[in-house]
Amino acid sequence: MRPYIALTRIDIKLAMRDRSVLFFNYLFPLIFFFVFSGIMGTARNGGIENVVTMVLAIGILGNGLWGAGMRAVQEREQGILRRFKVTPITPAPLLFASMVTGWLIYLPSVLLVCTLAHFFYGLAIPDRWFSTFVMITLGVVAFRSIGLILASIVNSTQESTITIQLLYMPMLFLSGATIPVRLLPDWAQAAGQFMPATYLVAGLQSVLMRSEPLSSNGPAILALAVTVILGTFISVKIFRWEKDEKMQPEAKLWLLAVLSPFLLLGFYRAFTS
Amino acid sequence: MNTDKNEPVIQVRGLTKSYGDFAAVKGIDFEVRAGEVFGLLGPNGAGKTTTVEILEGLRSRTGGQVSVLGFDPGSQSRQLKDRIGVCLQSTNLQEKITIREAMDLFADFYTQTVDSDELLMRLALWEKRDAPYGELSGGQKQRVALALALLNDPQMLFLDEPSAGLDPQARLEIHALVGDLRREQRSILLTTHYIEEAEKLCDRVAIIDEGRIVAMGTPGEIQAGVLSQSVIEIRCEEGLPGGDGPCWRDAGSPVFSADRRKLTVQTSHPARTLVDLVKWIEERGIEPSDIRLKRPTLEDAFIELTGKTLRE
Repeated sequence: MRPYIALTRIDIKLAMRDRSVLFFNYLFPLIFFFVFSGIMGTARNGGIENVVTMVLAIGILGNGLWGAGMRAVQEREQGILRRFKVTPITPAPLLFASMVTGWLIYLPSVLLVCTLAHFFYGLAIPDRWFSTFVMITLGVVAFRSIGLILASIVNSTQESTITIQLLYMPMLFLSGATIPVRLLPDWAQAAGQFMPATYLVAGLQSVLMRSEPLSSNGPAILALAVTVILGTFISVKIFRWEKDEKMQPEAKLWLLAVLSPFLLLGFYRAFTS
Repeated sequence: MNTDKNEPVIQVRGLTKSYGDFAAVKGIDFEVRAGEVFGLLGPNGAGKTTTVEILEGLRSRTGGQVSVLGFDPGSQSRQLKDRIGVCLQSTNLQEKITIREAMDLFADFYTQTVDSDELLMRLALWEKRDAPYGELSGGQKQRVALALALLNDPQMLFLDEPSAGLDPQARLEIHALVGDLRREQRSILLTTHYIEEAEKLCDRVAIIDEGRIVAMGTPGEIQAGVLSQSVIEIRCEEGLPGGDGPCWRDAGSPVFSADRRKLTVQTSHPARTLVDLVKWIEERGIEPSDIRLKRPTLEDAFIELTGKTLRE
């Protein structure tokens, strides 16, 4: 257990010294928060809850895809993982530390956004605060799993940036995280059903805006949980310590494996609606 | 620590490694004995790093038998990594981690460790213990790499190009540290493409070229085993008599400078030829002012064995 604790401790310390981590985790959500509040208004019923849901979802997407995905690639390219490779540790404590650190540094951001929403716009303390916490936790861990898989299948920072953008941008705009789903055309709504972010946004809206229990979000929670399990398992399996260990193009299919729960859900919804 | 010089800590038999059709290591055999510094010397791409990484448990092998401290690096790499120290080429730590934090972090990876403060003092890093890794010089980073490699008090150390890319001062510091480790009777396998590093630090050397060992022994044995000859150069106060000069025993034809004050002779038995030469000059009433003997170097041996220079 010692490597798990040691790596998590140092990851948190290093994250706190990294200005880009601080910017994207704490300042970036604030910018979104005030912009969305200004544009969308918070006066009508459920307005501020909607803004908070969007800001939290954007934060989780960024934390997982960019935070976990890019950092692992950079550490591999810089030869940092190669130094760990000559010690007796396995990839598991490194992945665990990344997961826990991402979650821990994200929680203050949740508190910050909710506090501002409370004092500026009268956001009530969520009735289902524990469900909200579970949904946020599941979201962060699921998206970090996807980020870690991305890190394992790409061969360079450049490739990583492109691949993350290809996932991040559609999820940002088609999931309801930035544009309310009801305003999207039918084809975009249908496409959104294949994306994990859509289920995260829907889950957060359910517990935050409608105070519904977790049980009313069964499929979304199940899909996110399966993503976590599949993602963790595959991340350990295809982990690469060195930039010279190139991944074959067909290995990129592992990403489909981790996204498979959402593909299944998307098809299910497409055929049952 | 086991210091029985006869007991091998590394045994390699018929080791091969291929990447697709390319054979990087083509069947090599060697042993490293306890307490000895063994050098793998060769140009870039010779197969030395591949060989060492197989021994460290970082790469799988295609064929052959390998044992390091009694472990098979292929199937027991975690147990092996717990017992060895490794200083790799081109590794890094996070820019913002301090040296003390790095030492504490890595200490948690091993089942046994030495006092990291003592290690930092010994490697002249104590003053830099709270400095971020990104602010260190190349030599200091290499000393950190060495400190991390020594953290688990390893019986066996692997140093891959320990002074590559360092300035001459930093290289001397690393040499001094390796010298200390050698006196502690730790077993060390180092790879290098610096001839002088191999001559200075290693008890025995294997010259590796295109995936094969082409010579192995002490630096002296390798030098003695090649055909390159010693060169005797004698300078005199006044010009030597005309003519080609005699042919001395075991020596080639003498070569005179234009002013005939310098005489150069190649020989396979330098001591015998030197006596003959000095006697011949004195018989002519001339005083030698400077006598130099150039022995073939490990570099000469390397060039003769591989047909290449080490920088190729």
